[in-house]
Amino acid sequence: MAFLEVKNLEITYTIGSGSLKAVDGVSFSLEKGQSLGVVGESGCGKTTIAKGLMQLLPKNGSITGGSIKIDGKEMVGLSREAMRRMRLKEIAMISQSAMNALNPVYTIGDQLVEGIMAHSSLGRKEALRRAVEVFEMVGLEEKRLKSYPHQLSGGMKQRAVIALALTLNPPLIIADEPTTALDVVVQDRILHRILKIQKEINSSMIFITHDISVVSEICEYIMVMYGGKVMEMAKTDDFFRHPYHPYSLGLQNAFPIITEEMEELISIPGSPPNLQNVLPGCRFQERCPFAEQRCRDEEPGFAEPEPGLLTACHFPERVEEFREKAAHRDTWETVRKRLIEEMKEGAAHG
Amino acid sequence: MDEKPLIIIENLKKYYPVRKGIRELFNTKKEFVKAVDDISLTISRGEILGLAGESGSGKTTTGEIIVRLQEKTSGEIVLDGHPIDDSSREGRKRFRREVQMIFQDPYETLNPRSTVFETIAEPLKIHGWKDKEKIYRRVWEALEIEELKPPEQYLFSYPHELSGGQRQRVAIARGIVLEPKFLVADEPVSMLDVSIRADILNLLKGLRRDMGLTMLYVSHDLSTIKYICDRIAVMYLGKIVELGPVNKVLSKPMHPYTKVLFSAVPVADPDHVKERIVIDDEVPDQINLPVGCRFIPRCPYVKDQCSSCTHELFEYAPGQFSACIYREENLTVNDDRIIDEP
Ligand SMILES: Nc1ncnc2c1ncn2[C@@H]1O[C@H](COP(=O)(O)OP(=O)(O)OP(=O)(O)O)[C@@H](O)[C@H]1O
Ligand SMILES: Nc1ncnc2c1ncn2[C@@H]1O[C@H](COP(=O)(O)OP(=O)(O)OP(=O)(O)O)[C@@H](O)[C@H]1O
Ligand code: SF4
Ligand SMILES: [Mg+2]
Ligand SMILES: [Mg+2]
Repeated sequence: MAFLEVKNLEITYTIGSGSLKAVDGVSFSLEKGQSLGVVGESGCGKTTIAKGLMQLLPKNGSITGGSIKIDGKEMVGLSREAMRRMRLKEIAMISQSAMNALNPVYTIGDQLVEGIMAHSSLGRKEALRRAVEVFEMVGLEEKRLKSYPHQLSGGMKQRAVIALALTLNPPLIIADEPTTALDVVVQDRILHRILKIQKEINSSMIFITHDISVVSEICEYIMVMYGGKVMEMAKTDDFFRHPYHPYSLGLQNAFPIITEEMEELISIPGSPPNLQNVLPGCRFQERCPFAEQRCRDEEPGFAEPEPGLLTACHFPERVEEFREKAAHRDTWETVRKRLIEEMKEGAAHG
Repeated sequence: MDEKPLIIIENLKKYYPVRKGIRELFNTKKEFVKAVDDISLTISRGEILGLAGESGSGKTTTGEIIVRLQEKTSGEIVLDGHPIDDSSREGRKRFRREVQMIFQDPYETLNPRSTVFETIAEPLKIHGWKDKEKIYRRVWEALEIEELKPPEQYLFSYPHELSGGQRQRVAIARGIVLEPKFLVADEPVSMLDVSIRADILNLLKGLRRDMGLTMLYVSHDLSTIKYICDRIAVMYLGKIVELGPVNKVLSKPMHPYTKVLFSAVPVADPDHVKERIVIDDEVPDQINLPVGCRFIPRCPYVKDQCSSCTHELFEYAPGQFSACIYREENLTVNDDRIIDEP
């Protein structure tokens, strides 16, 4: 059994009298030392998965199905207190919001030492030694332990947050857009630091980002989400060489790669589905150029066209044809026209 | 291009005085952040110039000065033969018509209480358009150019009813409705999802093709710069350190900072073998600048002579300028600057 096993995870938010399933039947597993990149458009459920794993969902959100096993132990249904102990020691989270969560009135060092002491049996002296050690790992000078958060630059603060998260050698690291607001040069250093530490302590890592090229550089596996569901999951290298899912094919044409000559970028027309009113069938149907009646009637399960590559499309065997067509602008223009027609009809009928 | 450039920027400076704490109050030495420090540039008609560089290097400041959202400290900017600070009535009016800016965050720039129609019609009304029929037709056209189709669907929508990409289109429609000559686009796609960025980039390209629009495209993202720009200028601490055709600069960067920046861009290609140049990632001191080259504290190739650098741009290859005193082929890594990392 893998170190982390997530099965059919469902997370639901209630809003007013209604509800929406932000994470809808997500399954994946990770061994120790492996890293998984989670990508997808804004609102596809990435942060919700992270918060679900940490069981730090907002009040109106809850896990409504599935299981999360860490080292064979079921996490769903654990008491709040048990979960609190798990966090930091077993699961560490690095996020943008953690940066703002640094307490402004205590020095970074104090916060680090307190954190270590609260979650381990170390005394103050040993905790301080450990703090110096992790500061070194993330490339901060020891004297910065005496700084208050406001005295640090964005990059330094982010490194302090990483230090804070990694002090106890957590076996599972969840990083939610840890470098999004940072400069490219700073981002590059921080990513490689996270990677180095993850390898050193042999943790599993879930790395959430909207920047698919970051995943290409630092994760072994990739999971592409759309509207709360997994569309494709694969080894990163396989995925970037030959993706299968129509959504992935669309993404591939949508962003420029700096080392390549690109003729033309093509967007995926339309916008993500309204999760408060999901249609039956494939979640990508509205924006998919290859959608047929079957896609509207029946939800695709996972196919495994290559060992270890999962795609949630009805037609994995037509991938050659899809790849060829997806590279043409016209293919996606038909989607735009279809969406415009539907919008006109919608307006006419109501 | 033998024609005169549309925009000529000469020795542009913008210095912000540093606010002092009580303790330094009696220290009479004035301190400044030299956000833009003596830059000169031209942009040809129909050209898209990319402005790249580290956060805080002065990109936005430069853009905002060109559209006169900020006053310059000194220097000269001439647009189509007229200094932009021509303060005659006629001059001000012409300027407001000919120069427009779009921003990173479409959520903030649109008035939440105005419909799409009102938003796009406003600049027309400000410029004295009275004929309702004509205004309506022009707004309609702008929406069609922006591919907000069918326009009747959008005319009376409010910003909150639109997606991020649609909002950015409305912002651009508002920017181009007066058929400006020059557009500054400051990170116009960085808030948008990858799946729809291409639309906005293609739209900007199309405006250049169809309207001959000249553009300054400000972004820290070298990949999108490579996609839509003809030339690129790279800034570091208020100075232009490299300038040249985008394909040359991004295939063979010359200035050490450009090399570092380029090497830090993540590449979505598992077969790409990357040469990483690792440097100190600490944010540089913007007030106490080093003598000579501003990149000295972090440059992996630094040598003693670097303190004599004046940031003069040398044309080391046709059309490609670098402010480094060394040609690219003469750069050698300084052993003291090697940072251990896997
Ligand atoms: N507290 C909440 N109450 C109700 N709905 C929520 C709440 N938080 C998130 N959602 C909804 O759940 C869905 C998933 O949101 P989530 O934040 O997980 O997306 P994300 O993939 O992290 O997006 P982003 O890239 O913008 O961070 C979205 O449709 C969002 O609107
Ligand atoms: N109104 C202001 N008052 C004082 N300093 C300012 C002001 N506006 C900008 N600065 C400073 O000028 C420098 C350049 O800022 P600018 O916003 O032009 O950078 P930028 O290159 O656009 O950065 P980013 O990539 O983060 O947008 C920064 O050091 C900034 O702190
Ligand atoms: S199942 Fe149908 S709609 Fe979904 S991705 Fe495949 S072809 Fe497109
Ligand atoms: Mg998120
Ligand atoms: Mg800026």
